[in-house]
Amino acid sequence: MATGDLHVSELSFRFAGQASDLLRVDQLSIAHGQTLGIRGASGAGKSTLLHCLAGIEPVDRGSIRWGGDDIAALPAAALARWRAQRLGLVFQDFHLVEGLSALGNILLPASFNSWRASPALKQRAGELLARVGAPNRRAELLSRGERQRVAVARALLFKPEVILADEPTASLDADNREIVSALLLDLVSEHGATLIVVSHEAHLLARLDRQLELRGGVLHEIEESHV
Amino acid sequence: MFNPLPVVVADYRRNRLLVIITLALIAIAMAIGVAVIAQERALRQGSARAADDFDLLIGAPGSPTQLVLTSVYLRLQAIPLVDGQVLAKAMRTPGVRYAAPIAFGDNYLGHPIVGTIAAFADRGGSLPPDAGRLFARRGEALVGAKVMLPIGAKFRPEHGAHHESHADHDDDHDAADHEHALEYTVVGRLPARHNVWDSAILVPVEDVWAIHGLPTGHADADAQIGPPWDAAKLPGVPAIALKPDSVSAAYALRIAFRTPQSTALFPAEVLNELYATLGDVRDLMSLLALATQVLVVVAVLLALLVGFLARARQFAVLRAIGAGRHYVFAVIWLEVSVLVAGGAVVGLALGYGAAELLSVVIAARLGFTLPVTFGAEELLLAASLAVSGLLIATLPALLSLRTPIAQGLKG
Repeated sequence: MATGDLHVSELSFRFAGQASDLLRVDQLSIAHGQTLGIRGASGAGKSTLLHCLAGIEPVDRGSIRWGGDDIAALPAAALARWRAQRLGLVFQDFHLVEGLSALGNILLPASFNSWRASPALKQRAGELLARVGAPNRRAELLSRGERQRVAVARALLFKPEVILADEPTASLDADNREIVSALLLDLVSEHGATLIVVSHEAHLLARLDRQLELRGGVLHEIEESHV
Repeated sequence: MFNPLPVVVADYRRNRLLVIITLALIAIAMAIGVAVIAQERALRQGSARAADDFDLLIGAPGSPTQLVLTSVYLRLQAIPLVDGQVLAKAMRTPGVRYAAPIAFGDNYLGHPIVGTIAAFADRGGSLPPDAGRLFARRGEALVGAKVMLPIGAKFRPEHGAHHESHADHDDDHDAADHEHALEYTVVGRLPARHNVWDSAILVPVEDVWAIHGLPTGHADADAQIGPPWDAAKLPGVPAIALKPDSVSAAYALRIAFRTPQSTALFPAEVLNELYATLGDVRDLMSLLALATQVLVVVAVLLALLVGFLARARQFAVLRAIGAGRHYVFAVIWLEVSVLVAGGAVVGLALGYGAAELLSVVIAARLGFTLPVTFGAEELLLAASLAVSGLLIATLPALLSLRTPIAQGLKG
């Protein structure tokens, strides 16, 4: 089983104090390298589902298997290691570390498990920065589009098998939406990673292999004719 | 092994002004404590060192503090004179190596002119002049290390002690502050003692007596200086410095000269009483400094805690993209610890700097050097602050870990 294969079964999640489940996913499978879009109304639980798939939000029941790892059952330290090595996360609000340069931000995940980044990793970070076309300035001096491009590069530092993106273009203007969407898809395609995008942006979702809609806590496949 | 430094350095860089203010606040709070402790010790050591040359002091019955201040620290003021017969008695008492009259009343350009004997000038041979020689006849002077008069220079003493206030000067103006006819010649320079005596000019006591129209202890026309004196012709003196042969002799002499006509004291006794008072003040100031320190550190830590809670999202993001709990803990712990420990170290240096500066100012006023030294007390103070910082830093670090990642991401 490839590490980018996802198999979710019998997943349920509810926030503390809630009477009913926010999410109920009986079965969900994605093959390694596939791209999937999830849409839904505000508050439907799209981001929560993404957090569950990233092991950020602990589920109440069910399993989330990425390759051979059931991340719903992994202890915290192993889960952090899995996220660092296998997963790339892209947020709506970029979440770069201000005070660090663009290159420093791309290299940041390297500091989670080693004192000094290897020369090969530094070279890769440099290549990624060149590839996303952002200047190597401190994060707070970058434009919003540049910040998101750097965030995409950061997510790809360790060539992860899985990229999860939460509204990656929602905070950008039209030009940057196009640039970041194209960049994200190109880079994921180049790396052969699995991509799951939560988004409202029809133009981005339309470029993905599959689309699901989250309604009433349940995922519904959207036929190609409805895309 | 992980490396939290990139985030720590980035946070410091981003909040440069806040970091500087925080560090400065902690350092200043620390410096106040260090300066108080170091300065009090310097004052104690400096004043004790200044009294080293005076084993036993004899003066007229009265205030021991006044006697010590006048003779040891040359804080010249009118004090009752001890009768010349007491000096005569001291000269012939067994166990006395020398009995030196200390007489004053004149100055030259602010340098007090002290009349005494050659044996006291070179402390019984232990303090030979750096240049030239001891005075050997009337009209010769030996200058302290800080007196800018070359050997061979001639000067006329002015009446009055320069330490007196202007009011005193004005009151006595008609009678005092005039040049005497006598002219001194500098014949030697003493090595530095780092006390007020470095600014003094030592002359034969007979010259001081003669200038003020007093008998000189010798036949009128006699140009002889120093003992033996004719007891019948000895005038009163402000103080007598006794050099005993031994410690036991010193105690015996102190008893022997505690009479209705005189008092005898070890300057150290008087200083100890002063130190006791000084110590009380020091304790109070130390307590105030410590309270300031605690308040500043608590205020700073609270501000940092609020800042960290506001940064919950940043820490959640770090954990979401793969940082372990230990990484986030280390970031927060390091950020607080470095500030507090750094503030303690900078405060230690600042405190010593302030103490050195105060020493210069106080030395100029008191006339003796205040040696500022490193002491265990200040190091302990700095260490406790630093260690408290390291321990307290765990609080925001632990609190930040209690926030679930998903909740932190929502902000």
